[in-house]
Amino acid sequence: MSHFSLKPFISAVFLLFAFSINLKAQDGAKIFKQNCAVCHSLTDQKLTGPGLLGVAGRVPKPETEWLSKWIKNNNKVIASGDAYAKSLVANNGGVDGMSEFEYLTDDELKSVVAYIIAPPAEVKPSASGSGEGGTTEEKTEEVKGAIDPLYLLLGSIVLLAIIVGALRSVRHSLANSFNKKEGKPEVPEMTFVEEVKHWMGSHRRLVGVCVIIILFIGMKSCWNACYNLGVYYDYKTQKGYQPPQPIKFSHKLHAGDNEIACQYCHNSVEKSKHAGIPSVNVCMNCHKAIQKGPKYGEKEIAKIYEASGFDPKTGNYTNPQNPIKWIKIHNLPDHVYFNHKQHVVVGKQDCANCHGKVKEMEVVQQQSPLTMKWCIECHRKTEVAMEGNAYYDKIHKALKEKYKGQHDVKLTVEKIGGLECAKCHY
Amino acid sequence: MSKKYWKGLPELNNSEAFVQSKNNEFAENLPMEDFLTGDDAKTNGTSRRDFLKVMGFSTAAVALAACETPVNKAIPYVVKPEEVTPGVANFYASTFYDGHDYASILVKTREGRPIKIEGNDLSKVSNGATSARVQSSVLSLYDGARLTGPLAKGQLTTWKNVDDAVVKSISVGQAVILSSTIISPSTKAVIAEFTSKYPNAKHVTYDAVSYSALIRANKNVFGKSVVSSYDFSKAKTIVGIACDFLGTWLNPIEFANQYSKTRKVNRENLEMSKHYHFEANLSLTGANADERYMVKPSEFGKVISSLYNEVAKATGNSKVSEGKISNSAASKAISKAAKELVENKGKSIVVCGYNDEACQTLVNGINKMLGNYGKTVDVDLHFNLKQGNDKDFIDLVADMNAGKVGTLMTYNCNPVYTTPASLKFEAAYKKIATKVSFSQSLDETSLLADYVCPDNNFLESWGDANPKRGHYSLQQPTINQIFRAPRYEGTRQVQDTLLKWSGIKTDYLAYLQGYWNNHVFPQQGKYSDFASFWAHTLHDGVLKVSVVKDIPFTPVKVDSTGKIETTGVASAISDSLTSDVNSNVGFIKTITLLGATEATVISVDYNKFANTATSSKGGEFELVVYEKVGLGNGTQSNNPWLMELPDPISKVTWDNYITMSPADVAKLGLNEMKRQDIIGSIAELTVNGTTIKVPVYPQPGQTEGTIGLAIGYGRQASSMKVAFGVGQNAYPFVSISNNTFTNSNLSVSVKATKEEHKFAATQIHHTIMGREEYLLREVSLKEYKNKEKEIWNPIAALPAHGGGKTPIAEVDLWADHPRMNHKWGLTIDMTSCIGCAACVVACTVENNVHVVGKEEVGKTREMHWLRIDRYYTSDMNKDKAQEEHIGTKQMYLDMENPSNNPTVTFQPMMCQHCNHAPCETVCPVLATSHSSEGLNMMTYNRCIGTRYCANNCPFKVRRFNWFNYIDNTDFADVNPAQQDLGRMVLNPDVVVRSRGVMEKCSMCVQRIQAGKLVAKTEKMPIVDGAIKTACQQACPTNAIMFGDANDETAEISKWRCDDKNYVLLEEVGIKPTVSYLLKVRNQEEEMHTHASHVAPTGEAHKEEHHS
Repeated sequence: MSHFSLKPFISAVFLLFAFSINLKAQDGAKIFKQNCAVCHSLTDQKLTGPGLLGVAGRVPKPETEWLSKWIKNNNKVIASGDAYAKSLVANNGGVDGMSEFEYLTDDELKSVVAYIIAPPAEVKPSASGSGEGGTTEEKTEEVKGAIDPLYLLLGSIVLLAIIVGALRSVRHSLANSFNKKEGKPEVPEMTFVEEVKHWMGSHRRLVGVCVIIILFIGMKSCWNACYNLGVYYDYKTQKGYQPPQPIKFSHKLHAGDNEIACQYCHNSVEKSKHAGIPSVNVCMNCHKAIQKGPKYGEKEIAKIYEASGFDPKTGNYTNPQNPIKWIKIHNLPDHVYFNHKQHVVVGKQDCANCHGKVKEMEVVQQQSPLTMKWCIECHRKTEVAMEGNAYYDKIHKALKEKYKGQHDVKLTVEKIGGLECAKCHY
Repeated sequence: MSKKYWKGLPELNNSEAFVQSKNNEFAENLPMEDFLTGDDAKTNGTSRRDFLKVMGFSTAAVALAACETPVNKAIPYVVKPEEVTPGVANFYASTFYDGHDYASILVKTREGRPIKIEGNDLSKVSNGATSARVQSSVLSLYDGARLTGPLAKGQLTTWKNVDDAVVKSISVGQAVILSSTIISPSTKAVIAEFTSKYPNAKHVTYDAVSYSALIRANKNVFGKSVVSSYDFSKAKTIVGIACDFLGTWLNPIEFANQYSKTRKVNRENLEMSKHYHFEANLSLTGANADERYMVKPSEFGKVISSLYNEVAKATGNSKVSEGKISNSAASKAISKAAKELVENKGKSIVVCGYNDEACQTLVNGINKMLGNYGKTVDVDLHFNLKQGNDKDFIDLVADMNAGKVGTLMTYNCNPVYTTPASLKFEAAYKKIATKVSFSQSLDETSLLADYVCPDNNFLESWGDANPKRGHYSLQQPTINQIFRAPRYEGTRQVQDTLLKWSGIKTDYLAYLQGYWNNHVFPQQGKYSDFASFWAHTLHDGVLKVSVVKDIPFTPVKVDSTGKIETTGVASAISDSLTSDVNSNVGFIKTITLLGATEATVISVDYNKFANTATSSKGGEFELVVYEKVGLGNGTQSNNPWLMELPDPISKVTWDNYITMSPADVAKLGLNEMKRQDIIGSIAELTVNGTTIKVPVYPQPGQTEGTIGLAIGYGRQASSMKVAFGVGQNAYPFVSISNNTFTNSNLSVSVKATKEEHKFAATQIHHTIMGREEYLLREVSLKEYKNKEKEIWNPIAALPAHGGGKTPIAEVDLWADHPRMNHKWGLTIDMTSCIGCAACVVACTVENNVHVVGKEEVGKTREMHWLRIDRYYTSDMNKDKAQEEHIGTKQMYLDMENPSNNPTVTFQPMMCQHCNHAPCETVCPVLATSHSSEGLNMMTYNRCIGTRYCANNCPFKVRRFNWFNYIDNTDFADVNPAQQDLGRMVLNPDVVVRSRGVMEKCSMCVQRIQAGKLVAKTEKMPIVDGAIKTACQQACPTNAIMFGDANDETAEISKWRCDDKNYVLLEEVGIKPTVSYLLKVRNQEEEMHTHASHVAPTGEAHKEEHHS
């Protein structure tokens, strides 16, 4: 996928084309987002192409017809000797950089032109994200008003304590009044602690057993906790580490809705042990043009500009650069060597096998425990694709010889030494 | 009735005081309160309960704090450089040259920082080889002692201030640039620009270790002031006189490589060079010689003149005067060597490292009589290394004393530290008005300088080199300047500084390209345009020009805007074949035209030189000032890797000492350090009235009546935390005679003191103690040719039931491990191994091996995964004991003492990756186990530190982390990984081990895994030679071979089929994966007589087996 980084704009447009095929013909907003918004905004702001606010007033009349022709094939319009078209090219320094959109049907053209001329006021002019994206985003929010069981427990304890206190004083006064009646000496009022000590003194065996049980439970839970030290994954809830990131970057929007391939941003995954956090210039391939997001508007994208030193007003990189400090989610200890290239290129593993459905995550969460047990389980059951790779020819032959006559033998990673210590620890 | 005894009258009387004290358990009041709390305790008192509470709380707090998982940040590039992929190393061809050593190198960088240096195979000078000093130079880049900006009078200042001040003062008096040898032609051009801008300026070249006698000898014999180049690979007979050409002399990396080529003996090639060596110290080269003779420095001249006469007699030349050599064995050897030299006329070589004009001229005469010029020795294709002219330097000091010099700029040299005491350089230096130093750190000279203009490290610099005529190489930065604006004032490359001071408005890179365009580009015909020529040469790092065309020097024209003119160069080429390297502008200036060497007839009065050479007389002790293989001339003495590198001969680390013959040690009543003693004596060494105290190390092989002291130690600059205060400086003891610095002093005195000194040596036993057969096999060439393999390389066998013998390999308790895919193996050719320790440093760099410092090494806690065992022969052996009826105990006691002039064997020793590994069976937690590819794996995260494995290892190659070396402040000064800067050198593919775990050689498993991954992605089997271990890659003599022994076509399989192949401790049945090719010596003596094979068990059977 490395060619993407070489021709970022073309590929960005290409990507947008790729998922424009299934769109409904009448949806002008959608067509605009998929095709035009990379270079044009609906305000007066200039991106790669001019801002389209008031475009209807600028172009020759009838504006709908002219715009349709221009969008469909602007080069034809220029070739036809159209004066306004020529002036546009001249104003742009003699360069006409706009793509041709021959594949748009007349209906589609009509709807997109209508959208450009009169965009609905409530639709935020944004370039990315389909309409459906926004509606499902809220469902992960917790139900408001539910009371945390911890508070319930604490409340009931307080309540019980009050009741016990009241009952104690009642009992004490009753006992004393009884004693008074009987003529016995009055029992001095004991403090709560004294009373507990008194009680414990008279129930030693029970107290001892309880202490032992509590100690045992405590130690066992400490032991269990130790096992999970440094493990960010909760086996019970199937949930993992999900720290807030400095930029509210949505994988759902980028990888899910817009179907940008993982390797477009994590482009060293096939070359290196690291998949790679994209450098800011990769973000800028698209975000130079896309300056507003569907959810947070300009706020989050502005952080990319701050990092890259980009000045959206002038379109130049004039400001100081500030690298983005992302929080690393998938942490392996230092003594583990893991190589993405080995797993993705040779092992042909899909990203989702370890990282889960990142395409559905607003905020990325660790989806696999990343413990040694988890690694080993996978190495035990994953078969190695030996056919067609000459590297494996020798061991394939040897393994075939070894398991001759046996059925259901899987040539797993384990069988070629994938459980040995020095495969991951050195 | 029971008796009652009283302890004394108080008990009998039962006094009040007694009763009180009886009830008090502790006689005196324990100072518990003092250490529990502060002053409060005096008034309040602290109870035991409080103490427990505090302790409990702190334990809990620590435990809780440890539970917190850290937040890791991932910070990507803002704009990622196209060629950088995080996690993938980039290699850049560059050049290592520090004024002393030269190597063409590949720099391995990860995410923009250099982490390893490897040899460049394309180079015809260094041939892809490296040395310990080149390997460790990457750490000097991250040296904490480096300056971050220019200094004026010791205070940090701005470049502008320094530039203004220096430019103003240059014109006052004479301005001198004093540098070590510059082999960069463009730098010489820059200096020429400077001297043409300031006519009062001149350039003086001075080398800390002088070779100027070689230059003068060549001037005497050939009329050329150059250092000849040598080709040992064509030599069949090699005679070395006080010349450590494998370790330190001239260009040891190249020579070691050439030398080893003549010593690869196998059944197809039974030819082997014969190496005679005459020297005072036991040098690395002497240790490798086939025959070595001990001669005093005062007799070097006599050895040379005798050799001259023997050769002259055989070749029909006239004789010269000669003196009598006190060592009669040496005299006999000279005749023998001369006979062989004459037999191999044109295929022999005589080299001398003694910096004496008369000696060197005679050596030239010998080589000339032998017809070696143009074959093994070449004055036309000369070195440009070591151009230093001692006379110029001595004259300069006189000028300085006379007050003629107004400005002195020192570049790549440190004369305050390196000059002989008799020159009184420091006093002369202080007289200079403006003292400028270009040193990278505050060394002895820059401490006294007015202005320090720190140069960039070589890994941050552009540059070029012309080490040998016709051989060029380029240097390119592999990291951005570490110290640069805005955080620091920054360092600046010397060439840029000089260009600036010359008023030339261009940067050095542009100037360099302009220079190459005008002077180097026209010398080649492969590329037609400069851009592609430059790109390709930069990529390759080296350029060899087959026809040398010297181009008259024209300064690169730079216009006022800084633009370089690159026109009209082709016409300027001339085919002249000589030059004078000692002129300011170097070889590029054509001075005279000379044809081939033979055409030049210069009559040399060799007898005159022989008279001088044989006239020297020695005193009580003769001192040899030598270079150590580790530190060299001391430019890198602040490098902890080199400090901790055991000296190949003495095995001592972190120390400088007098090497003295054991006989002399006994005579002076000093500690003889026998029986693995590590306490030596300190002696007072007096040279020309200066007395210093130095420890004495008894060194077998040291000529009686001589002592050795190494340079590079005794640094006085306190910013050099590693080197400061280690050892004594030997440079002041270099003597000056006939205007040359001679690396010896013929009359010194040594006086014993009662003081003692603790040495930290990695090997304190010196002999093999009669275990040759199991560990260290060797054979003489004669035996190798004529005798059965069974005699000199037997297979270990056990007597079998019913008679006969079964090879150990077939007797096994365990089943063999299946090796279905790979079977990694390592084989070491002991004949090729010269013990230079490049592999040791390479292993340290590659595997993040910790530096532990002198104290820990002294406790045998060094961490080196790879060590080189050095064994001396002993005069006692089992044959001799049997013949002379010496008892077993006495025999073993005597065996511990090395011979007076021992034969030395080097044996690189690392984890043998035993297939039936003793370490694996004793690990209680399975932290060490065996892989299906034949590796003995060590899993640090599983290790709990019982050290059972180390105890059970028969080779003692496992290393235990006694401390957390990366955090423990006790190691802050020695361990580079403790500083932010030094940490950058760590290899990110190898984990840094923590306290309490065992570690050892992994056979560079990270490289194996990386190589496999390449093969898997390319869908092809692993190509033999594609994976190299760090030690193999660093080895200059190709003594280490790594490969897949399952691949029958692999080189390692060929090595293992060789009849010299054996494994260590074969009879134990551990089946090591590492094997050795036994050492072949070019000797006539029989090493394997019938009786010498005595096995501890089954003696009789073994005897039978051999006969």
